[in-house]
Amino acid sequence: MAYTFRGGVHMNEYKLTAQSPIEVLPTPDKVIIPLSQHIGAPCKALVNVGDRVDKGQVIGAVEKGLGCPVHASVSGTVEKIESVYTPQGRKVEQIIIASDGENRLSPDIRPYDGDIFNVSAEDCIEAVRVAGISGMGGATFPTYAKIASAVGKVRHIIINSAECEPFITANHRLMLESPDEITAGLRILMHVFGLQKGLIAVEDNKPDAIVRLRESVGDKGDIEVKEMKTKYPQGDERQLIYALTGVELKAGKLPADVGCVIFNSETCYNVYRALASGMPLIERIVTVTGDCLRTPKNVLAPIGTPVSRLIEFCGGLKEKPEKLITGGPMMGVAQWDMDIPVTKGTNAVLALSATFVKEPELPFNCIHCGKCIRVCPMHLMPLYLARNSRKGDYDECEKLNVLSCVECGSCAYICPGKVPIVQFIRVAKSVVNDRRRAKLLAAQASEKPVKSQPAVKSANETQTPEEPGEAKQTGKSANETQTSENSGEVQAAEVTGSAEKVPGNSGNRKTYEKEGN
Amino acid sequence: MNAENQSLMALSPSPHVKHKNTTQSIMRDVLIALSGAFVWSIVVFGYMAAVLTVLSVALCVFYEFAYQKLMRKPVTVSDLSAAVTGVLIAFNVPVDIAPWVLIFGCFFAIIIVKQLFGGIGKNIVNPAIAARIFMFVCWPSEMSRFFKPDAVTSSTPLASMKSGALPDYPMLDMFLGLIPGCIGEVSSLLLIIGGIYLLVRRVITPQIPIAFILTVAVFYLALSPVGTPLQSLGYGVFGGGLILGAIFMATDYTTSPVTPVGRIIFGVGCGLITVAIRFLGAYPEGVSFAIMIMNLLVYYIDKFTMPRVFGMGKQKNS
Repeated sequence: MAYTFRGGVHMNEYKLTAQSPIEVLPTPDKVIIPLSQHIGAPCKALVNVGDRVDKGQVIGAVEKGLGCPVHASVSGTVEKIESVYTPQGRKVEQIIIASDGENRLSPDIRPYDGDIFNVSAEDCIEAVRVAGISGMGGATFPTYAKIASAVGKVRHIIINSAECEPFITANHRLMLESPDEITAGLRILMHVFGLQKGLIAVEDNKPDAIVRLRESVGDKGDIEVKEMKTKYPQGDERQLIYALTGVELKAGKLPADVGCVIFNSETCYNVYRALASGMPLIERIVTVTGDCLRTPKNVLAPIGTPVSRLIEFCGGLKEKPEKLITGGPMMGVAQWDMDIPVTKGTNAVLALSATFVKEPELPFNCIHCGKCIRVCPMHLMPLYLARNSRKGDYDECEKLNVLSCVECGSCAYICPGKVPIVQFIRVAKSVVNDRRRAKLLAAQASEKPVKSQPAVKSANETQTPEEPGEAKQTGKSANETQTSENSGEVQAAEVTGSAEKVPGNSGNRKTYEKEGN
Repeated sequence: MNAENQSLMALSPSPHVKHKNTTQSIMRDVLIALSGAFVWSIVVFGYMAAVLTVLSVALCVFYEFAYQKLMRKPVTVSDLSAAVTGVLIAFNVPVDIAPWVLIFGCFFAIIIVKQLFGGIGKNIVNPAIAARIFMFVCWPSEMSRFFKPDAVTSSTPLASMKSGALPDYPMLDMFLGLIPGCIGEVSSLLLIIGGIYLLVRRVITPQIPIAFILTVAVFYLALSPVGTPLQSLGYGVFGGGLILGAIFMATDYTTSPVTPVGRIIFGVGCGLITVAIRFLGAYPEGVSFAIMIMNLLVYYIDKFTMPRVFGMGKQKNS
């Protein structure tokens, strides 16, 4: 019996590239490396225009706070440092490196000196941090922070290889071609957490990968490969934890709070590499697919490779795609520019024609069929959330637990009335979150009035010339989210025309709720 | 990649792919499910059944089109929901009705009940049910002319039962639909086949029809108003509009609950009101009143049967 959860949708898988071995992309002429490819603070550039860099050299690091360093993925010369949009729709600085084609490795890359299977937690966390590893299933939460926060707290370690989104086969191929590295990575992590047993969760549409992993585990019995039912969103960490342990993770809680820690299989693979060879995260597997491509492939590409280069490598486009998506079709982000770079979280590039992504002809209309309720993995009432959000009744949305929504998109997928349910929910979520934040700030301000500063009621009311430190912080978080939302909205409205009735595009505000895909 | 190419790519938030089901495809399935009963109505009642059905569909589609044009709204007749309403209205009238009655009935359904409340998905009662009740109240004699082409006059099984007599139709005829009644309601067999088709196509879920029919059946078995309990059950369940109502009208999305538990409550409620009207009320038939009354409670049923959100409230293990 395959493990699963209640709700979700069965959909056509379109795993076109399941049988295509991973191909190594020839070194691109230039790479574009965003200084923020993870959740947390953006990096500061450590190099200047004109500098020569080696492959694997640290070129950006976080000064303090949560964050992952970034490395040069090719050797060459820093050509430009400029502020541009990332695939997630955020504007960040990025370093453009012109490759010299030599792929000279940085001398800093050294394997861990010692038995990697007996590494101490501190050393492992440091090695993973230095390697710049962040969650590779798309959520990009810094892996070292995840390990650090979970050490001593967890009873279960789960490697998420469900890969439940249609089209994507990056993890599938990795399991087939490098099962030993995955199991080795898992054993390292098990040792770090002091666990005797590890789980690898794979959807049962990948029987060959399950066999390969079991072969790799051998008779030791310390790792169990679990067959998960093929159903979206099986790879959502809440659903995975529920399916494997029967525990429901509350909204706002982390897996570590219920004694679980989850890593994507490619993340796990890179943890092994970081220790075994000292190799930082400078390349990743990208499934380049879709019905507009001549030859869909799984490509091992340096971080920073422009998507246009990947498309070229896959034989180019048969026809102009209606949509270019980075990530899966359910949670990925539509792109307007083919030159955006592959980042640490880019597990797929989809070029889809109108056959897949056509906008409906009739105006959307909820017919109250209740299909969204049947598929919601969080057991919400998506149609009422969408209705109330549309009316502007966000308090009602809050009562209906809108913040529990993981934005998996199952409801909008199944909706026969083609209501953009997820967008309505995102709007409601951001309003509810803003209101909560404002309330919190007000409460904080009235509790302990800050030194020379008048009571700050909400982020918007800070008018007095503030002291740099304190006031900046209060206002900042709210402002930041707002700008990112607004920019998303503008893009959506400008380009598709039909999307103008649709409320804000804030797909980039996905957090570490979802590791894996 | 030149700039021209790039600017033409569509941008919208995830999810990017959608299920192929649309309102139109669902309504098409409902029409297919009703087609068996439609053919049978022509066999039993003659060509007038077809004429009335086509007339009713045409009227409903026309009213919707005209209203939306007049109000400068996007025209949505291609979603086929007006066509389904048209078929259901025709199925709910006797074949000998004066056709002009439909002009008013369809107007009431589409304009008053559906469009004035905001169009598809926003009406609070089922348009076809409302139209049936409207016509029944305004033109009771037109709505009660139950003749069969080969018979001089006849009363429906439910009317016989109301007067305390055992209907004189063999049970098999009841089930197949060789009895007087409204155009589409007579053949229980074909309606049930249509219902199974809708279940297989996942257009409807079984809760409402099963809860509705079972509730009514239990009362006929227990109280047995005429003949043996089994005879009561047969005439009571298959002799009126119950099967058509339970499978095709009570399951109307817009006017039925969305939660599984809510649907059971809705079905049982429909059954209880139907039985109360049939056994205690002045009318022989109560299905349409029952559905309409329950329609009005849908919002509250949904609200009180909200599923427990994942990770919230009581749970087994944490």
